[in-house]
Amino acid sequence: MRRANITVALVFVSVSIFLLFAAGRFNFGTLRVPQTGFFPKTLGILLLLLSLVLLVQALRQKAVEPGGVKIATEGWIRIASTLATMIGFALVLEWLGFLLSTFVLMVLLLRAIEAPRWSKMFTVALVTALASYGLFAWLLGVALPAGILGF
Amino acid sequence: MDILTNVALGFSVALTPTNLLFCFLGSLVGTLVGVLPGLGPVGAVAFLLSLTFKMEPASAIIMLAGIYYGAMYGGSTTSILVNIPGETASVVTCLDGYRMARQGRAGAALGISAFGSFIAGTVGVIGLMFLAPLLGRAALSFGPPEYFALTLAGLTLVAYLSQGSMIKALIMALLGLLCGTVGMDPISGEQRFTYSTLTLSDGFGLVPVAMGLFGIAEVLENLAVLSTQSVDQAKIHGLLPNRQDWRDSAAPIARGSALGFFLGILPGPGPVIASFVAYAMEKRLSRYPEKFGTGVIEGVAGPEAANNAATAGSFIPLLSLGIPTSAIMALFMGALMIHGIQPGPLFIAKYPELFWGFIASMYVGNVMLLVLNLPLIGMWVRLLKTPYVILFPLILLFCLIGVYSLNANVVEIILMLAFGVAGFFLRRVGFEGAPFILAMVLGPIMETSLRQSLLISRGNFMIFVNRPICAVLMVLTAAFLLWPIFTRQRKDDRMT
Repeated sequence: MRRANITVALVFVSVSIFLLFAAGRFNFGTLRVPQTGFFPKTLGILLLLLSLVLLVQALRQKAVEPGGVKIATEGWIRIASTLATMIGFALVLEWLGFLLSTFVLMVLLLRAIEAPRWSKMFTVALVTALASYGLFAWLLGVALPAGILGF
Repeated sequence: MDILTNVALGFSVALTPTNLLFCFLGSLVGTLVGVLPGLGPVGAVAFLLSLTFKMEPASAIIMLAGIYYGAMYGGSTTSILVNIPGETASVVTCLDGYRMARQGRAGAALGISAFGSFIAGTVGVIGLMFLAPLLGRAALSFGPPEYFALTLAGLTLVAYLSQGSMIKALIMALLGLLCGTVGMDPISGEQRFTYSTLTLSDGFGLVPVAMGLFGIAEVLENLAVLSTQSVDQAKIHGLLPNRQDWRDSAAPIARGSALGFFLGILPGPGPVIASFVAYAMEKRLSRYPEKFGTGVIEGVAGPEAANNAATAGSFIPLLSLGIPTSAIMALFMGALMIHGIQPGPLFIAKYPELFWGFIASMYVGNVMLLVLNLPLIGMWVRLLKTPYVILFPLILLFCLIGVYSLNANVVEIILMLAFGVAGFFLRRVGFEGAPFILAMVLGPIMETSLRQSLLISRGNFMIFVNRPICAVLMVLTAAFLLWPIFTRQRKDDRMT
């Protein structure tokens, strides 16, 4: 936990410095007439101060606190593949269209934990794609992208 | 007689077929969300928020409220039957509820939890009905300094109440406030941190952020460490508590209702805290505190009543002051603002049909939940057996479509995923999402009121101390901030 805390504190220190730079061009104004930069800059300074406090606390921490449950390699693989699948979905959605993208998304996600039988996987994916299309496009009137195949 | 006319007006809104349907849908989805451990009420409300844009405002908040209190009911069912709390507010119910189920008294536990929730829900709604207009009228005299002090005290209290390190919670609140400054300056209209992108020109969308932090992050966490919970179901005989059960539970339900309602009004995760405090209180008042944890009905009745009353109480600050006090209330505020409705002191006077319709729908919803829950318990438990392999792709799909359906903007999907990843990592090192989302919504209110106050006082900060209400709130804020430092000092002294 100690190392994680130090890392997080350092990340937040850099975030606040970055934000202070990014807010640099906004006019602070005066206390009498505070302008656009007043609030973000004040917050940035407070964030920097608190991150430094966190850093000092983490550095002074001696006892080895029990951290969260450790994630095994398989866990990280599951997370990475799930995220990659969803990013892929976002990228191809408007090109492939809703039905096809959703079908592929579901097939890939269903395989993320354990590979089920193909027949079962395809059925679940197909039913989900069709049912969600019916629910969102017809019942709720959401405009879903049609894509290259026209559906 | 005034209140009777208002209540009649409310029921005329709540009982239209459309609104009845949405109330039913909300309660049903809420129960579902409460039953399934993979998705909490915040994630569910965030997801459905995107679908309410096309509805009438009354239908929208009726449905969203149904999800909120429905989840409280659903969560207790699984706590009692299988020892898995569907959401945090029903964690305590496991302690005695599951023990009762093991002893073959699942029916009584479920029954008293449903009836207790119903009674407390009703008490809470009545309290809301009387207190919200009163507070709203008082808030009419609030100026910018009061609003600034109120938001500051609210955020500090949420940070104070969060589990774990207060510094971490305060950092999350600051990050949330900073994210709230993205987009247009609320006073001058200048663009800030938008980098000339269209997606950010209106600031971070509430839905992608909330769904990322509460939906996606939760799923990632479950994927990281797959728990193989076997659902071991207790048998249910007869759902009705017997006379002795009622006699034991009457006082805990009454106390839980009152306590929950008032704790609900305070900032923070009201229902969660209310359930824990109610359990502790019942244990202390009991003639046989040593039996708590072995399956005493008071340990179910008190907390269950408290968490339901708290849901009603937590609407008060939002509806009468326009200040959300928890992540879920921040989403409600978003739901109202999307329809151009500003919650606050003028809300009840300006939209009586909305306010009273909403109140009436909560009565209706509580009845529906009672009817829905008792006969359908078997179905809910069977749903719990849905393997996570199938459940998590569905949750993710709903998140993806939900965000996309808002503005048909793929960038917002990526934004949601980014917040999901950030939320996942931050949660692992002890940073909670609730202060962040609350701060993000409160940010613009806080900035506007702070800048206006300084304009009024010509840059003099004494304006926050010279006005009585402000002064009280500022003292409270200081107390919340300083209290942990003092208590830590004491703990350190004791250890050396």
